[in-house]
Amino acid sequence: MSAPSENMPIAVSVPRLKPLLLRHLPYFIGAAVAVALAATIQFDGYVHNILMQATTFAIAVFGLSVVLGLCGQINLAQAAFFGFGAYAVGIGTADYHISYWLCLVAGCLIALVAGAVLGMSTLRLGGHYLAMVTISFQQIITLVMINAIWLTHGPDGVSRIGRPDLFQSAQGYLAFCVAVLAIVGYAVWHLPDTRLGRAMRAVRDNELAAGVIGVDVFRTKVSAFALSAVLGGLAGGLFAGGFAYVSPDQFSFAESVVFLTMSLLGGVASPIGSAIGTGLLILIPEWLRFLKSIPGLYLAIYGLAVILIIRFMPDGIWGFFATAFDRWRAQTKAPPAAAALQLKPATVGGDIVLEVTGLSKYFGGLKAVDGVDIQVRRGGVHALIGPNGSGKTTTLNVLSGLYKATAGKILLDGTDITTMPPHQRTAAGLGRTFQNIRLFRSMTALENVEIGAERPGNTMIGQGGDAALTERAMEALTFVGLGSRANQLISSFSYGHQRLIEIARALAANPTLLLLDEPAAGLNSTEKLELHELLKRIAAQGLTILIIDHDMTLVSEAAQHITVLNFGRRIADGESMAVLRHPDVVSAYLGTE
Amino acid sequence: MDLVLQLLFTGIGIGAVYALVALGIVLIFRATNVVNFAQGEFSMVAAYLMVVFAVDLGWPYWLSFLLALAGMALLGVIFNLGVYYPLRHRSFLPVIIATIGASILLANSVLAIYGPQPQVLPGWFDTPGIQLGPVYLDSQYLLIIAVTVALVFFNYWFFEKTMLGKKLQATSQDKEMASLLGISVSAMIMITFIYSAVLGGLAGVLVAPVLFVSIQMGSTIALKAFAATIIGGFGDVAGAIIGGLSLGIIETFGAAYISVPYKDAFAFLALVLLLIIRPQGIFGERVAEKA
Amino acid sequence: MKLTRRDFATGIAAGIAAPYLIKSANAQGATIKIGMCAPVTGPAAESGGYAVKGAKLALEAVNKAGGILGKQGELIVEDDQTTNPGIVLAFSKLAAQSDIVGFLGSIRSTQVHAMAPDVIKLGKPVMIGGTDPNLTHMGNQWLFRFRPNDSYSGRVIADYGVNTLAKKKWAVLHSTDAFGTAGGKALTSALEKLGAPAVLDQGYANQSQDFTPVVLAIKQSGADILGSYFTFENDLGIFARQLRQLGVNIPWVGSPSIVNITALKLAGPALYNTYGVADYAEDSSEGSKAFGKLYRDTVKVAPDNQSSWPYDAINVLAAAINKAGSTDAAKIREAILATKKFPGAEGEYNFDQNGDGLHGYNIVKNDKGNIVFDKHIEFND
Repeated sequence: MSAPSENMPIAVSVPRLKPLLLRHLPYFIGAAVAVALAATIQFDGYVHNILMQATTFAIAVFGLSVVLGLCGQINLAQAAFFGFGAYAVGIGTADYHISYWLCLVAGCLIALVAGAVLGMSTLRLGGHYLAMVTISFQQIITLVMINAIWLTHGPDGVSRIGRPDLFQSAQGYLAFCVAVLAIVGYAVWHLPDTRLGRAMRAVRDNELAAGVIGVDVFRTKVSAFALSAVLGGLAGGLFAGGFAYVSPDQFSFAESVVFLTMSLLGGVASPIGSAIGTGLLILIPEWLRFLKSIPGLYLAIYGLAVILIIRFMPDGIWGFFATAFDRWRAQTKAPPAAAALQLKPATVGGDIVLEVTGLSKYFGGLKAVDGVDIQVRRGGVHALIGPNGSGKTTTLNVLSGLYKATAGKILLDGTDITTMPPHQRTAAGLGRTFQNIRLFRSMTALENVEIGAERPGNTMIGQGGDAALTERAMEALTFVGLGSRANQLISSFSYGHQRLIEIARALAANPTLLLLDEPAAGLNSTEKLELHELLKRIAAQGLTILIIDHDMTLVSEAAQHITVLNFGRRIADGESMAVLRHPDVVSAYLGTE
Repeated sequence: MDLVLQLLFTGIGIGAVYALVALGIVLIFRATNVVNFAQGEFSMVAAYLMVVFAVDLGWPYWLSFLLALAGMALLGVIFNLGVYYPLRHRSFLPVIIATIGASILLANSVLAIYGPQPQVLPGWFDTPGIQLGPVYLDSQYLLIIAVTVALVFFNYWFFEKTMLGKKLQATSQDKEMASLLGISVSAMIMITFIYSAVLGGLAGVLVAPVLFVSIQMGSTIALKAFAATIIGGFGDVAGAIIGGLSLGIIETFGAAYISVPYKDAFAFLALVLLLIIRPQGIFGERVAEKA
Repeated sequence: MKLTRRDFATGIAAGIAAPYLIKSANAQGATIKIGMCAPVTGPAAESGGYAVKGAKLALEAVNKAGGILGKQGELIVEDDQTTNPGIVLAFSKLAAQSDIVGFLGSIRSTQVHAMAPDVIKLGKPVMIGGTDPNLTHMGNQWLFRFRPNDSYSGRVIADYGVNTLAKKKWAVLHSTDAFGTAGGKALTSALEKLGAPAVLDQGYANQSQDFTPVVLAIKQSGADILGSYFTFENDLGIFARQLRQLGVNIPWVGSPSIVNITALKLAGPALYNTYGVADYAEDSSEGSKAFGKLYRDTVKVAPDNQSSWPYDAINVLAAAINKAGSTDAAKIREAILATKKFPGAEGEYNFDQNGDGLHGYNIVKNDKGNIVFDKHIEFND
């Protein structure tokens, strides 16, 4: 865990990557070839229809790979958004003779707004509840499609749907759809590497931690839903133009389930997985047509296949191959060397960095924290200790915004953060680590720390471009001694090292105050010594640390100032040595005679 | 007033059906944290079993009834071993999809074996119903309501007063602790699936004489039953009952006074409103994640 | 990620070509092929089975009588899964086989709408059973209808109820799907023309489990006769029982599902003494009696309109091809349109220029479980 001389800046240049488009040229060439093939090969009607269905469905399933695969939110209403796009194009071109392009854009916009609205229900709900709300939304939309005859033609459906003038022929239209698929596929493929994509992955992996390190969780989820809905609407619009007829029964809950199954089958997190899943689930029933003589037999086999694939290939077919590939790729990619980490915490409000007055947190009748005052002086290490159940972790959770304070005030560097949600506190300069390490398990060490560096208000990352983020993240990782392993997945690190990565993630954000929740838990004595060294180095750069821990040796050696809690109340506060000898403190830990 | 009484009876009747199915869903959810999307198919399979025994083979009604429920117990075992158990350590999403796959498998297997024609199942009683003043009480619905009430008491007695019931409760609340106390978690889960399957089957057998036996009979009820569980509060047995009854009443009155074609929408609107105002449902508890 | 779209598309193309190559190795031109899209799976699987049986019965008889243009006729069935995309795929699969000379399409109008663009593209005759009047009035010259469309069923129900049963206060009950909505509309407008506008026009969603609110609405409206368009027999059965339980015994004239075997089985006594319009009624004509006997002898159950129209469709198509003396689509079309006074199971076919072969319905009565033919009402306008 020893680190090179990080206080001596080494002049290195971050290697510049080739421009994005150039690197991905093979993809664009492949896409162009596919489009050309679609435009020129004479498919017979049957094959043409299958390809059309596969292409448009795949785009809708891409949407699911965003909201579900990337952001981890369940959406069982994708068919409703598909329907919005389809009806917009259908009604617009068939009834009002508006240009196809305008209708398509309108359909996407309607779907976008609807998706955002649905996404807003995530403010209070997740998991099964969210699933039920999306199902309800889907059912209501289907009922409206059937019954609002004045608008949608009801169950008769809409026929003679138009196509854009440029792509009237079957082949031309198919080529157009393939082109859209390729473009959307590219965007979805690269979404995980963008800021929004990283935020989504963080929310998926560990929502609590994501909020605490500065991700606006609610906005991210709403964006995920909106994005998924737009793709669904786009797909629906293309579908309508392709088949020239739509009716409500094509946009029911059963279809949403089909989309979801396609997504999971291929691999929920990637567009390639979506494409594979879509292709298979459209083709399998066609391949199994020979079983048609016994009604129900091939659907029964389909149901069985779904169960088996979920069981034996949990990441879907593509996920199965992709994880192996990722592991291999992580081993071989060498991380860029980094400069020394610089911590420049803000120094606005005088001598006291954290001022906590009268902080209380009641859970019903239980007073977990009762009228606690803490003043954390700038620079150095301040410890918060107490026997089990004294309210230490609750206090920490209230400070970082995971619990709402029942009473009291919290001032961080002069700013009142008492009522702010976690991500805003982070923006205000608060950093924290967790007792039960909360790293984003699907990402590499570097990616985890990069998300930390993306804190709004981080003055150390210049414009916030990708290169600056990577550089800052590398500096933080090198600071804790793990720079050489930056591209490895979290799962390959030991417990002690994961803890260091969590600290690096917090440091990358350049916080004003760093909250450490039981950083020594699970470390052996050598690791504890190294942790102590790390804390000293952090403090040496002027960053204030508030630490909770049980390890008295670490606390007494590292902290200059200690606050002691017992039964939710402050029983001692002052210079370390004095506090530790205080009779109240001794009796709290050891009991009285 | 006559109108209201008749609607009330029907609402409670159909609500009791939802409640029975919802009960099965809630029990599995409490034990395994998984929503079983195949619960409706349990009802459907049991109804078909009844048809095979009582109608096709002509065996006595009570015997066919017991055999059908025994068949459901067996199905519960197979379902647990085949669908839930191998996925028990994964997150809830793969399990949901697996149960959806199971529902497709069950529905289409029955279709392949029995054929698509809907079937008639005679009710328990020979008299189809009694006229009580202005209200007509369908005898099968009366039976369903009676059985639901009986089940409420039975569940209370079973879970609160018997050792097995308490062990099941312990397992559903904290698996690790339960196993540390010597309770076999996998056995408890197996029992839960068996009980749920039998409950689902009971609902199917009771409602089949009214709604007829068809491949789709399960799925239409199940979706409403899910909504009912959330309205009542997802983790709670009483919630399932109250949720089911409320849903039946809301639907029936909504159809009568607002709009018949949009009847199904009321269920879902109620669900959405409730989730926005009071996500934990009428009876549920808030569960906070440990930080 | 080196798996490009091209690789994937090539994979699909190869995967699809394989069964084709295998298939086209057999059966070259020795038979006259007729394609049929039928619901082998999905909610309408039961009726799909009957339809295929009816078609096969007709083809066997045609083959025995010398075949089509001297060759034996062969029926090729593709499953349409009872869905719209399903029938589009099924039809396009059949359409790819260039030696198929004619097709049997769906009894569900929404499915016919879905496949209509492909029918126009192909330009070969398609026989249908769907009753949405628009299907023969939308400029598609390749659709030929073998059941009277809903503008007729509505008028027949209204005519019978107002003129024969002498009832003028109508409750009209219909499902909210395509069939029910169109039928309901046809009935209410026919009633208005006869001076007996409906006192209740009630829609209901398919697969309702309970009809108490609907029955109570009928009671409250003071109607003295009920006209209905039910799509699914399950709903019909539940409704009929609840109607009787709540004491409503007004005369009831319903769309064809009211006399289907399934409906009779499910509803039992609740449907006694009701009337139905039936495009197929066994005793209505010599042709229908002959079909009934043939079907019963072979399939061992009573026939209904699911199997009768495909039977007629095969017979008319075969006769038309023979009359045209060729498999040229335009010639077959002319021959079909020229078909007059053709005795079929559904009735006597007189094709008009729109492609409608039948213009009237039978009224039948449910006499304690037996379907008894009452009269035929035909419109010649």
